[in-house]
This record gives sequence, C-alpha cells and structure tokens, in this order.
Amino acid sequence: MSQVQQEVFEIISKQAKIDIGTIKLESTLKDLGIASLDAIEVIFDIEEHFNINLPNDDVNFESGTVGDLIGAVERQLAQKPADS
Amino acid sequence: MRRIVITGMGGICALGHNVPDIWQAMTEGRSGIAPLQHFDASLMRGNPVGAEIADFEPLAFIEEAKLPFLDPLSQYALVAAGEAIRQAGLDFRNERTARTAVVVGTGAAGEETRDGLYRKLYAEKSGRFHPLGIVRIMSSAPCSHISMAHGITGPTFTVASACASSNHAFAQAAMMIRAGLVDTAVVGGTEACITPGVMQAWEAMRVLAPDTCRPFSANRRGLVLGEGAAMFVLETLESAQARGATILAELAGAGMSADAGDIAAPSDVGAAAAMQAALNDAGMQPGEIDYINAHGTGTAANDSTETRAIHTVFGEHAHRLAVTSTKPMHGHALGAAGALEMLAVIGALRHGIVPPTLNYVAPDPACDLDYVPHEARAMNVRAALSNSFAFGGLNAVVVVRQAS
Repeated sequence: MSQVQQEVFEIISKQAKIDIGTIKLESTLKDLGIASLDAIEVIFDIEEHFNINLPNDDVNFESGTVGDLIGAVERQLAQKPADS
Repeated sequence: MRRIVITGMGGICALGHNVPDIWQAMTEGRSGIAPLQHFDASLMRGNPVGAEIADFEPLAFIEEAKLPFLDPLSQYALVAAGEAIRQAGLDFRNERTARTAVVVGTGAAGEETRDGLYRKLYAEKSGRFHPLGIVRIMSSAPCSHISMAHGITGPTFTVASACASSNHAFAQAAMMIRAGLVDTAVVGGTEACITPGVMQAWEAMRVLAPDTCRPFSANRRGLVLGEGAAMFVLETLESAQARGATILAELAGAGMSADAGDIAAPSDVGAAAAMQAALNDAGMQPGEIDYINAHGTGTAANDSTETRAIHTVFGEHAHRLAVTSTKPMHGHALGAAGALEMLAVIGALRHGIVPPTLNYVAPDPACDLDYVPHEARAMNVRAALSNSFAFGGLNAVVVVRQAS
C-alpha cells in the first residue's frame, strides 16, 4: 500500500468512523455509507491533509471509487512544486 | 375566514430593476447568469458564475442621505417595496399604518458590509471600522427601512429559514391578516449574497454549477447563486374592494413543514407534507392546480426529490401540471427566492404564460414531469403552487390563484 493510499484510507476511516479494514480501492464513498455533507467533509479533510485542491470533476460521489480519489490526489501532488 | 389578495408587487434581480422588465425577461426566457463581475473570484475553483444585478444606480431610487445606512440587502428591499406600494396605491400616513405589517424573508444578512469590515480587520490589520457596520449588517435592517420609508407602524420583523425565508414570510403575513391582527402587509424577501466570503463558503460545499443552472435536466451540475428582492402588498379582499384596488391574485393558502432529518440533504416526505398542508389550508384539491413554480435548484438531489414529492401529492394529476424552475433566469436568491418566484407565479396567473425551465439538455429518468423546457408556454393558469425547500429541512409552500 502506497503512503498516499494509507493516508487517504486513514482519513476516510476517521471521518466515517469505520474500520480501516473495510475500505477497498473499488469501494465508492456511497458504498461506505458516506453521503451528503459527510462526503464533502472527507474530500475537504484530504485537501487539508495534502494541501491540495481537488477539482470538482475529480470527485464523483455517485460512481467515483476510493481508488479514483487516490489517483486524483496523486495527480495533484505530482503537480505541486517540490518545496511547498 | 378573511380572504387575502395581492394588490401590489415590486422586484429587482438580474433580469431587471422593476417587475415589467423582469416579467418580460421571464416570458422571453432570458437568463441573468454570467461570469461574476462584483469581485475578483480567482481564488474559487473553476470559473464561477452568478445572476448578479447589473447597472444598478441606487441614487435613482434612494436619496443620498440614506445610502450610508444601507447595505445592498436593504437597498434592494426598498426598491422592491417602493414599486409594490406605488402599484397598490396605498398611503400609510393614516389609520392604516398601525394595522399594516412588514415581514421580510432573508437568509443571510448585509454580507457586502460584513466582508468589507472583516477585510479591514484580517487583511489590512485595521481596527478602525465604519460606525454604521452593525446597522447595515443586521438581517432585520430591510424590514426596518421599509417601515421607516413608508411610515408603517404595525408588526415588523424578519423571517429567516435559509432558502425558504420568503415563503415563510408570506405565511406569517397571511396568518396575521387572517387572525385580524392587521389588514394589510408588505411582504417578500431580499438577499445580497454574491460576495467573496459567501461565494467561497458555497463553493466549499461543491454544490455550485461550473457552467449554468439546469433544473430537472440530465447532467445538471448544481445551483447558481442570484441576488435581489421582491415585495408584495397583501390586504383583505374587503379592503381591496372597498378602495377599488386592482387585484393581481389571491393568496389562497400556505403550508409549512420540517424534515427533522439532515442539515443539507432534502426529503421528499417533508416537501410533500408542506405542499399538502398548503392545499389543505387553501381548501383546494390537487386537480385545481395548473402550475408549480418549483424549488428546482439544479442540484442532483433537490430536483429528483422534489419530483417524487410532487408525484406523492398530485398522483395522476402530476403529469398534467406545468412544473418550471425560473432559477436559471434569476439564479438562486436564497432568502429572496420565493419572493422572486412569486413574480413568475403572478405573471402566469394574470397573463396566461408559464415561464420556461431554461438550459434543459436531456431527460433524467428521476425527473419525469412536464418542465416546459426552453420556451414559455401560453396556457390558462387557474391556480399555482410556489415551492421553497431550505437546507436544514425547512419547507414552505404558497398557493396563489386567479383573482375571481
């Protein structure tokens, strides 16, 4: 498991108050019972943790999976200047 | 029971600075949505849009000495109330004054003033605030200024229930008239919410559409904020007839409910309860309604939920209704939404034209009603519902019918 994946899993687990072992890369936030404002909060916590901005197009709450979310985080991290 | 009629209306929004201009735009299906002009929105995601009031010159409506006291929130309210009271032909400098109420819905407050003061404090590190900050910001300022400008001394207060504020205001005014507490009311809503702070807070919830507002359509991507005010003069049928006033429509009933559920997600049960309560209050059957001006925000959740609620209340008749959202034209003006939408409802009742739902691209299976896409429709509207469903599960619905 990559460092980014580990950290995203921890954020989701903490926010949704679910066992980290139940989170799979192919789970959607909806599958994990995270809906409405809770889902928006998870995205915000991820943005704050990594100090990135996730565009709306990268966060689809209906069909997007945790794996998609990690991919979006990695894309944003790759674009960040090394010193920030 | 005392019957309540509407004898004056006024409005200002992205479509115009008076009711004739706004109604003209609604019948033509023009949209006031455009890239933001009021401030630099470069910190926001994407290219935010809004339905902003353009080319507004307050001095054309309000005397210069009064302006320092007025956030745009109160300026818009005064413009709309002035137009409504002129149309009604009422003067309050007589015994009517104490028997008239002012009830104004607003969801936020004097946000432009608030933003300006906080910018001084946090960005410019200056504690020297303009002394009129509080009286501009307070959410009750608009109703106070209407009362002061027109000499109205009856019950005067603000109603706050987020996006349902205006419709809750109509209900409060109507109940006071029915109870015999007052005979006349100036009622409506105002909002001036397109400021950096407010926009950023809405953006953070990821409910703002990046392109435009597409209610009930496939590929809808959220709401677009708007601003403005609309005000109405309500009075008893007896009072209007006695003075030979032109009756624009009858306010037949109002219904309110709370979801007791989620702070953001809507509930079809709560929405249906408010619509049913409004019909019951008016003593009307679903089959007597021809048009619903929907809450129709353009978010995925609202529009499918509202559609289910309409099916619940209207059954077979649901497919015979024209259901439109005028928010793609004037934007979602939050606490002023129900008031601006009342302009569309009264226009439909009086002129036999239902304003369309703009920006509809394709059907969504979860939204299967007749949304009158793209172009206004000529049809007789005997009676109509105006829906408002707020965050926090606060619902208010008003029933209006043709003046008989």
